[in-house]
Amino acid sequence: MTAAALEFQAVTKTYRKRLGGQEVPALTHVSFRVAPGEACAFLGPNGAGKTTSISILMGFLYADWGRIQVLGYEPGDVRAKNKIGFMPENFAFYKHLNAEKLLRFHAKLAGVAKDKAGGLIRELLAKVKLDGFGKLKIGRYSRGMVQRVGIAQALLGDPDLLVLDEPTSGLDPAGRKEVRDLILALKALGKTIFLSSHILSEVEQICNQAIIIDRGRVVRAGPMNELLATGDQVEIVVDRLTEEFEVALRERGAAVERSAQGVRIVIGSQHKREVVEQLWSAGCDVVSLQPVRGSLEELYMKLVGSGEPA
Amino acid sequence: MKLRTIALNTFGLFLRDRLLIIFGVLFLCVILLMMTPLLVVKARTTTSNMQQAQTYVLDLVATTMFMVSGAGSLLAAWAAADTVASEMKSGTILAVMARPVKRWEFLLGKYMGVLLLMAIYVVMMFGLSYLLAWMGGQRLQSSSWILLVYPMLRYAIYAAIAMAVATVAHQVLSWGLTLMLGVAAALVVPGPDQPHNLALRWLKTGLYYALPSTDFLSEDRFLTIKHATLRQTGWLEHLTTVAYGLDYAVVILLLAMWSFHYRSLKRD
Repeated sequence: MTAAALEFQAVTKTYRKRLGGQEVPALTHVSFRVAPGEACAFLGPNGAGKTTSISILMGFLYADWGRIQVLGYEPGDVRAKNKIGFMPENFAFYKHLNAEKLLRFHAKLAGVAKDKAGGLIRELLAKVKLDGFGKLKIGRYSRGMVQRVGIAQALLGDPDLLVLDEPTSGLDPAGRKEVRDLILALKALGKTIFLSSHILSEVEQICNQAIIIDRGRVVRAGPMNELLATGDQVEIVVDRLTEEFEVALRERGAAVERSAQGVRIVIGSQHKREVVEQLWSAGCDVVSLQPVRGSLEELYMKLVGSGEPA
Repeated sequence: MKLRTIALNTFGLFLRDRLLIIFGVLFLCVILLMMTPLLVVKARTTTSNMQQAQTYVLDLVATTMFMVSGAGSLLAAWAAADTVASEMKSGTILAVMARPVKRWEFLLGKYMGVLLLMAIYVVMMFGLSYLLAWMGGQRLQSSSWILLVYPMLRYAIYAAIAMAVATVAHQVLSWGLTLMLGVAAALVVPGPDQPHNLALRWLKTGLYYALPSTDFLSEDRFLTIKHATLRQTGWLEHLTTVAYGLDYAVVILLLAMWSFHYRSLKRD
């Protein structure tokens, strides 16, 4: 098994109020593993323990119990932080700085050589579509522009692991798409991405793994394909289908949809072999056969119940 | 490099801190008001009342410098208590601490930023003392380094205490507690009326050295500003006093670092 980029083993965290106050369990035996190069979604309703988990992995909070490894190091270890790009939720910034100066400040902390910093900052600002705004004070930016600066600072130092907490919050649809494309490009470069987001459709497009957490416990984790596969139904797409065959299929409980691209048949997986053989015999060309995928939203609502996703 | 970056950024934040700007403006007004009598005295000085004028001017300089010095303690304690707290409140600490920066480096960088602010304050205070004396037509005969090093040591201690308390408590509480310690230290300064009870006397002496004593670390101990002279003091005494001050500041700063290491970093 390859070394995990990120690993939680039975991590437990309880918030204690001072002077013998109430104890609030935030995480209870949370375990998960993210392999290098994976894009992992970290999902859950508000108060589920997402921010606590992210704070623990970044070394901001200490877990009460459990083992955490980030890029092979303890959380908070500077050797790990050297390779992490982090974008906190509602990225906060120094209002007196402009984007260039803020990125320069972060570049210095990240140990980027002075002679390389200028070029890198220009490149990053162009990447997040903020070229031309580098000298404008961040206090005068729109929320979307602030988010973009946050993403730019997370990309400083060419990180191996990107921890992104709601990176597209506050962005308009075009901005969301740009950020999504940027994350997909980083994923294609082999970067590990740990993404917390409430925009499930976006997560579904970016991530190939998901962890769903609720009330401090992991309720489902695994590859996206496995999580979304319903398991009991298959989808067969054929180029054409006779009326008689359609009636026969419907009698067996199949759903049939006709479109310009072909005919989509959804049928119980126990009938798949028999139906495909009959389709071939009838001269239909089977274009594809795959398990039916549910949507992430359906899965999320099923697992988390009425917990509000946004 | 990281420490310098954090320190300079902290200093930049201070220069834009509204509360500190208001403090500076108010204080400047008070200083300007106090300059007026000096100019009047200078204008009215004749050969017959020169001795009286000198005493008056140096009294006024001493009073002003006492106020400026006290205000510096307030400033040092507030700046140190607020600098970490404001980063927590705004959430900027999260992006900074996500960088390869150790917790102690962050705190030390912040502390250095406070010291930079206070160094500028001390230099201004130094310039002001000479300016006031000059305006009153007098000259201060003193050793410059004493006027620079001793206030700086005091402020370093106040800043370290305020920072240490601010790692576990609200910044206003931290500021208040630091000032209370300063006042308590002033109350236990050994004077002519020492308690007869031996235990009480020991307690008072112990507290005098344990508390951040502004008297012990005061340049006034070595200067007799009212007579514009410098008390002859051996280097050993200076070395001992400076070492005490540095030791005090370093120990408290280490305590602050230890406390900060275990604290949760989150947006307050």
